[in-house]
Amino acid sequence: MEQYRLMMRGITKTYGSAAALQEVDFMVRPGEVHALIGENGAGKSTLLNILSGVRPADSGEIHVNGQRVQMKNPLSARHAGIAMIHQELQHVPELSVAQNMFLGRPLTTMNGLFVDKRAQLARAVHILKQLDPSINPAEPIKNLKVSQQQIVEIARALLDEAKIIAMDEPTSSLTPREFERLAELIADLKSTGVSLIYVSHKMNEIFQVCDRATIMRDGRQVGVVNICDETEESIVAKMVGRKIEKLEHHSWATDRQVLQVENVARGNEIKPASFTVCAGEVLGIAGLVGAGRTELLKLIAGIDKRSAGEVRVNGKAVRNHNVSAAIRAGIGLVPEDRKKEGIIKARAVKMNMALPSMRNFTLGGVIRKAKLNHVAQEVMSDLKLRPLNIEKPIGTLSGGNQQKVIIGRWVAADAEVFLFDEPTRGIDIGAKSEIYNLIEKLAQQGKAIVVVSSEMTEILRVSDRVLVMREGKITRELHGAEITEENIASFAIKEIKEAV
Amino acid sequence: MMTQSSTQSTAVPSALLKFNLRDAGTLIGLIIIVVTFSFLSPVFFTVPNLLNILQQSSINALIALGMTLVIISGGIDLSVGPTAALSAVLGATMMVAGVPVQVAIMATLGIGALCGVFSGSLIAYAGLQPFIVTLGGLSLFRAIALIYTGGNPVFGIPMEFRSIINSAVFGVPTPIVIVAVIALVLWVVMNKTPLGEYILAVGGNEEAARVAGVPVKRTKVTVYIISGTLASLASLILIGRLGAAEPTIGNLWELDAIAAAAIGGASLMGGKGSIIGTLIGAIILGALRNGLTLLNIQAFYQLLATGLIIIIAMLIDRATRGR
Repeated sequence: MEQYRLMMRGITKTYGSAAALQEVDFMVRPGEVHALIGENGAGKSTLLNILSGVRPADSGEIHVNGQRVQMKNPLSARHAGIAMIHQELQHVPELSVAQNMFLGRPLTTMNGLFVDKRAQLARAVHILKQLDPSINPAEPIKNLKVSQQQIVEIARALLDEAKIIAMDEPTSSLTPREFERLAELIADLKSTGVSLIYVSHKMNEIFQVCDRATIMRDGRQVGVVNICDETEESIVAKMVGRKIEKLEHHSWATDRQVLQVENVARGNEIKPASFTVCAGEVLGIAGLVGAGRTELLKLIAGIDKRSAGEVRVNGKAVRNHNVSAAIRAGIGLVPEDRKKEGIIKARAVKMNMALPSMRNFTLGGVIRKAKLNHVAQEVMSDLKLRPLNIEKPIGTLSGGNQQKVIIGRWVAADAEVFLFDEPTRGIDIGAKSEIYNLIEKLAQQGKAIVVVSSEMTEILRVSDRVLVMREGKITRELHGAEITEENIASFAIKEIKEAV
Repeated sequence: MMTQSSTQSTAVPSALLKFNLRDAGTLIGLIIIVVTFSFLSPVFFTVPNLLNILQQSSINALIALGMTLVIISGGIDLSVGPTAALSAVLGATMMVAGVPVQVAIMATLGIGALCGVFSGSLIAYAGLQPFIVTLGGLSLFRAIALIYTGGNPVFGIPMEFRSIINSAVFGVPTPIVIVAVIALVLWVVMNKTPLGEYILAVGGNEEAARVAGVPVKRTKVTVYIISGTLASLASLILIGRLGAAEPTIGNLWELDAIAAAAIGGASLMGGKGSIIGTLIGAIILGALRNGLTLLNIQAFYQLLATGLIIIIAMLIDRATRGR
């Protein structure tokens, strides 16, 4: 009994008739970093929700330090010493760091009548000193970098003297450098005896920071492994329950230039960028988060106003550069943040697909339902939407299927230039390769394609040619055999080169 | 009871079916009210009284239909009452001055549209918040109406105009016919045209709509123009029936309209709402007032009932939304 800090045994949870978790066991030792891995929908989030008291389990037991805990609500989790650091950090932007740390648990004077701001500040200083002395507790939290905000969350967990800290996708908006810092912090916490639960899709991180892993698939626990005994392939195989075939990259690039970007810039933020993409070519853009890749795509797609430069499609300049002009010229953007910039979640698949090309489906100002249904059916079956239901609200679909609809949006609009920003963010490993196949299929059809990605394997997998960006500037173009992880990293990260 | 049936069947089916279920819920609410009053008052369930209810509801229905579009787009229009007042006094002045009735009607509607252009542009192009802009409009338009008239009603609206409003088509009073036609047109707009889809998209997720090439600004301005124009149309019905245009008309119309839209299923968060639902919502409010009046219940209690109905409707809405 004693050897586990946390024991979750036989946890079962059903939603309606669907079983989200079936008899799941999850054990975490003191002072270990334990990875919780599985595809989206495998039940990781449900398990974390139960652990943090957000949702009750239907059956099963939770023990912390050998003591049975009745998990009634988030407060009981907190009292049991369990802290949760969510992927989307939860704080009140206008309040100070210290105020956020003490949110819902203020230090008070006069028997709870007044908030003791001075004591809070002192306590915050004391805790933050160990984690990151550069954070000023009096500063509004919105002024902090995301990585620092995350540290504040950790500080908050320490404030509660949490012995179990669960981190859900903690690095989704961190740069590699910031991840290194987080890894150090995790090692420090571990040495003080805190148990960490680390949820991530990124295998390299799991191999770097985790000791053991619990693997989940379809609501069941399918294995507990020591990380040092495993390889990425073996873990992925357990996660997916089958082997993921590694396809060789095939180039469909022609020499007909479709997209020409000339000295496109925005103030000081994006330095003049010039490149071309040919029909059937996939151009990868690599770089660190914050290197200006997303911003560059948005300038090309007309979403943000450029301060200089020209964009041409098939030799014709896109005049009066705004979103509709770009779309008319045949440029379509598949945005990074699907939930925020991609989908209209309450609307049907077909409507989400038809949004930019609505005019093609109207006669006398009225939408022709038959034509719309026909095209939506055709496009989405081509893009392998499964199940092929075009009437369903897009918000009810999996991330992979939503992404297919957003891609379908530009197929239906007859786009010639497809701009992908982190095309597989938040998408299962299984569905990822499907998205790669779709990108290749578009290339085969002669589309000009740009893929921005922070995942090295993704860039290597899809690109015919790679641009590397750093600090708003294209620093390097890589061809053929030059496209290697080492090359990309060295041109993307100046800091590393200097450090060596 | 209706809460039960709709939760169970909304588990699986399409968006379309869900929409209709919500409307069915509103309709059941109306039926309950109608049945209750029919038992309590012998006069309530008679053709003349039912027509009366519809006619009394017509002004709120028109305002609420425009409001529904604005709410679906993620906005709000608090300036509808004063918009109605301003167009009423200006329209009435024109008619009294001898401007041909048709021209005066068009001009009156134009004034409402202009009010919409004013609010809509500030919201779409200057990026101001709809609540604040239309709150400003609420004072502004009312002030202009009061200043222009010196606070006095405009009397002497010509019979030629009044007889149009007070006529009937196959026994159905013209205001009801007007509402029916407008509701039909807006239903087609929301369900069959790109504009309707754009309004839903802008209200559902403005940023995503923009990235997808939806003309977000134009869509926003359009809904305020529609709302303003319908406010003017409502004012025409009112002055046609009263025979005079007071600069103080339309007080608190915006709240009745929001209530009707909300009862009908519109979400103030945007992206969701129903033309049919709003129509029924307006009739629910009208039937409630009419019934309570027939029962000789004090006006204070009518206000109480209205408040309760709104809150009960929202609670049912919340409960049926499922987990």
